[in-house]
Amino acid sequence: MNLQSTIRRAKRGFREEFRLYMVAVFSLTVAFLCLGGSMLAVANLNAIGERFGDTGRVTVYLKDDAAGEDISRLGAVLEGLPEVASVEYWKPAEARAHFLEETDLASELSSIPKDAFPASLEVTLRSGRNAPRTSHMVQRIREFRAVQDVERYDGFYRRVDSLVAAGRGIALAVCLLVGIGVLAVIGNTIRLAVARRRREIEVMKLCGATDRFVRDPFVLEGVFQGVASSLVAVAILALVFVLLREQVDSALSVLLGGKSVFLHPLSCLALLGLGAFTGAIGSALSVRRYLAV
Amino acid sequence: MTGSSRDSGVRPFPFFRAGAQAHAGESHRPILVLEDVYKYFRRDVPTLKAVNLTIERGEFVFVTGASGAGKSTLLQLIYRKHTVDQGRISFCGRDIARLSSSSIPYLRRNLGIVFQDFQIIEHWSVFDNVAVALEILDMPQRLVRARVAEALERVGLAGRGPERTSDLSGGEQQRVAVARAIVTEPALILADEPTGNLDPHLAIDILTLFEEINASGSTVLFATHDHSLIAKRDHRIISLDDGRVVESRTGLGGWHAAAQAAMAARAAIGA
Repeated sequence: MNLQSTIRRAKRGFREEFRLYMVAVFSLTVAFLCLGGSMLAVANLNAIGERFGDTGRVTVYLKDDAAGEDISRLGAVLEGLPEVASVEYWKPAEARAHFLEETDLASELSSIPKDAFPASLEVTLRSGRNAPRTSHMVQRIREFRAVQDVERYDGFYRRVDSLVAAGRGIALAVCLLVGIGVLAVIGNTIRLAVARRRREIEVMKLCGATDRFVRDPFVLEGVFQGVASSLVAVAILALVFVLLREQVDSALSVLLGGKSVFLHPLSCLALLGLGAFTGAIGSALSVRRYLAV
Repeated sequence: MTGSSRDSGVRPFPFFRAGAQAHAGESHRPILVLEDVYKYFRRDVPTLKAVNLTIERGEFVFVTGASGAGKSTLLQLIYRKHTVDQGRISFCGRDIARLSSSSIPYLRRNLGIVFQDFQIIEHWSVFDNVAVALEILDMPQRLVRARVAEALERVGLAGRGPERTSDLSGGEQQRVAVARAIVTEPALILADEPTGNLDPHLAIDILTLFEEINASGSTVLFATHDHSLIAKRDHRIISLDDGRVVESRTGLGGWHAAAQAAMAARAAIGA
């Protein structure tokens, strides 16, 4: 099969049916925007999930009469644990200052005495930690003489984790539904475009064209439409992301303490690949029904 | 038989050119033979019944009969739009009913087909409409340009290649369809009511064009129900009535004889 001839005929199809092409590319772009948007939501929920995983915390409250030597030993032991990323010692005054800073209630609570807060060791856990190991670690910490109490923030993290997991699940389901919708839209758009050109197919078949001769330019056109649409969709998503990033990030940092992320380059490539693949398959299937002449 | 060397792939059906016969034996063999052909679209009601025909090389044959007599079906069986249900159709010695679907394109490359509704692509140029038949053969562009120009000249459309086909008149559009049918120099041309959409004057023009093509070596099967057209020419006539070949005559009186035979057959069936 002559590739030059295939390309020439595909170009002729593009020239002759330019408006139809544009309509098809527009419809497919909208479909890919929906899919890309869903993927973006999943990517950001994943990032949020990972961020909370990274910032797992345990606070070890120390007894008022804890000896400095015991506190140092405990700190050294904690730093040696594989689950622990860092350990920071907060004196009562530092704990009070930090509390006032975080709650933004400095004026109302300025009367709180300095010794109202116990000294503590703020332990930051590594990402990828798991609940049984953390429980085991907390149990061991409690055995130290200098330890008054240990706060795992379990309830909070469990709620955040379950919220993120639910959001991720919903986004994935939407992604799947949108994906199916996108396939249907692509299939129908290409089928309409091919139906408009069925006379061409009939004529070529009656002149002795093989199925492949007829099909190849349509497949090439389908690949082009799919890639162009997904490329435009990714470009629009990137543009909107850049334009809205500042506002979104300021809102996110207040609510969740993080920043938004764009699609991974591999995800963008996957969208382009999906565009090419669905374009090719959609065209091949649409042409097939007109080949029986 | 002339095998084309342009197509490097395996050719499941040989490529025949009009008038050219490398094989001495082939030239004496009829180009088309129908033996006891039946075609059913509805159970128990055959569209074609026991059709037996032999078409010699270089013949010009009118296929006539009333609407629904089976003219188009006969042609469609030859270019394998449909398959015979019973009997055999041999084209250049090959039983076309036995061709695999992947071989049908190669059969059609030996045929030039012209339809009543022209079957041209209106948004293409005249050149593109004719060239498509050669592009299928993977012919070099230089040769395509030369052959298309030659075909357009033969049908009286010299220099009209760049024009958009939709801008042409009905008669000119049919000439484009004829140019596409003859540009590959096929061994057999099938014309299915090619003058059906044209006025009488243009119909004669198109018929004359087919006769000129026939004179250059192509065998022509010209289906029409236009009695006036048939009566004006001295060609063999195959008349179909209710799916049967009623008469097969040659000569100016052929049509009248065929018509009388058809009427007699109907009367006999009625009686």
